[in-house]
Amino acid sequence: MVDSQLAAEFVARGRSAACPVIDTHAHYGEFCGIYFPHPHAEQMLGTMDRAGVRICIFASHMALVDPRRGNELSARVCAEHPDRFRCYLAINPNYPDQVAAEVARAESMAGFVGYKFLSDYYQYPITGDRYKPALEHAEDRSLAVLLHTWGGSQFDGPALWEELATRYPHVTFLMGHSGYGEWEKAARLARDIDNIYLELCAAYSVRGVIELFCEIAGSHKVTFGTDLPWFDPHYGIGCVLFADISDEDRHNILHRNAERIFGL
Amino acid sequence: MEFFDCNCEIGVLTQPPLAPAVGPEALVQEMERVGIERALVRHACQIDESPIVGNPYALQVLAPYDNLLPTWSILPPQCGELGTVDEFITAMSRAGVRALWAFPSKHNYLLNAETFGELFEEMIARRIPLFLRSTEQSGSLRGWELCTDLLRQFPQLTLILVGHGSWGTDRFFRPLIERYPNFYVDTSRYELEGGIADFCRTYGPHRLLFGTAFPYTSMGGPMLTLLHCDMPDDYKAAVAAGNLARILQEVQL
Ligand SMILES: [Zn+2]
Repeated sequence: MVDSQLAAEFVARGRSAACPVIDTHAHYGEFCGIYFPHPHAEQMLGTMDRAGVRICIFASHMALVDPRRGNELSARVCAEHPDRFRCYLAINPNYPDQVAAEVARAESMAGFVGYKFLSDYYQYPITGDRYKPALEHAEDRSLAVLLHTWGGSQFDGPALWEELATRYPHVTFLMGHSGYGEWEKAARLARDIDNIYLELCAAYSVRGVIELFCEIAGSHKVTFGTDLPWFDPHYGIGCVLFADISDEDRHNILHRNAERIFGL
Repeated sequence: MEFFDCNCEIGVLTQPPLAPAVGPEALVQEMERVGIERALVRHACQIDESPIVGNPYALQVLAPYDNLLPTWSILPPQCGELGTVDEFITAMSRAGVRALWAFPSKHNYLLNAETFGELFEEMIARRIPLFLRSTEQSGSLRGWELCTDLLRQFPQLTLILVGHGSWGTDRFFRPLIERYPNFYVDTSRYELEGGIADFCRTYGPHRLLFGTAFPYTSMGGPMLTLLHCDMPDDYKAAVAAGNLARILQEVQL
């Protein structure tokens, strides 16, 4: 068996008190393309308990489509479970007249920690003007912004990251799915630019990616996420535990970096 | 719990994965790190070169390892490259090979009754399983359509579709599970939260096979997911190793 106290503990018990996982990329509720056995709060909490996930930071699926209804839902879940959930406020840039009103309610939203942009789905680039009110707010308050990112995408691929991150130096950008596929470029950007972090959701399953990120960018620039209720946290955690890295790296990825970024 | 991996590959490819595994040593080392006892293995040489070369090469490379079971790949019998159907089955029997793969994307054929009727009838009679990757394409059919078309033509064939997922595949494979009794899927990319337990509650534990898609995918993810999913230990044991062991045991050569 791999030489890791953490791995041994997760194998034996499914969780570790010494490693209270923080999920920095999650969702909530039903969505169009997938059957979910467990899309709601009580069910997600059961899953989080089983895998030792202390806090889950999410944007509800509803918010990603219709922010006016969905951000409300996200806030309600956080209000009901303040010790276990935080939320990203979502913006749909294809309804530009709604953006300012959503940003205006951010500060009063229960559990609000930052923004989430799903730019590939909107087919609207992360560098576009319509996100400006949200990004300026995040810059002002030094918040985190989780971006869906994918290799080769003209809307959120690594080619756009530097421009965005240097324009908003006080925003912590979590690159969701780590620019899936453009692994080395993503890792180099995270190494070279202070406010770029690699978020592992889905990327973790590709064998060798976690080692490559730790080697080039360092484990202090990598956070953990699962798209819950999409992916079993044990799947991603297993990928991190059995990657050829140290337990220090595993702690950084699974909770320490998120604790620092979000003050949790 | 014993783990028996149905979906492993070694060898050199024209387009290698991020962390290639060239020889069996890399596979065995990873299995030891993660705690996987046995594996059913295909060789990249069977895919990117040719089954003519790759089938015997897989035997040779895997021979020193008791816990690595070789698999072979099929080609249309009409060209005679792997012998007649009888000769091919006899050779399998001699070599102790109990499972076959189809790679229609790379090997340029139609995976249908015209091409494989004789072989697949023989495989059904002898209960030899056919493995297929979810990314395979044959003519204009691929993925779930290819799988459905094949099962319509051979409803009794033991067909194991591997690597499905991870972005929501239950709506595709559950109808096939309900309709075709010898259809299975592996767990290598079945990352859906609660998916394994939910599936086994509905269909019982006998239609899922543990797989890792090594060296493409991390072995630790699928292993930890199955180990701690919310279902009874005997269900987990069936998925982890029991089902594959039974399928291979039931092969008549
Ligand atoms: Zn997501």
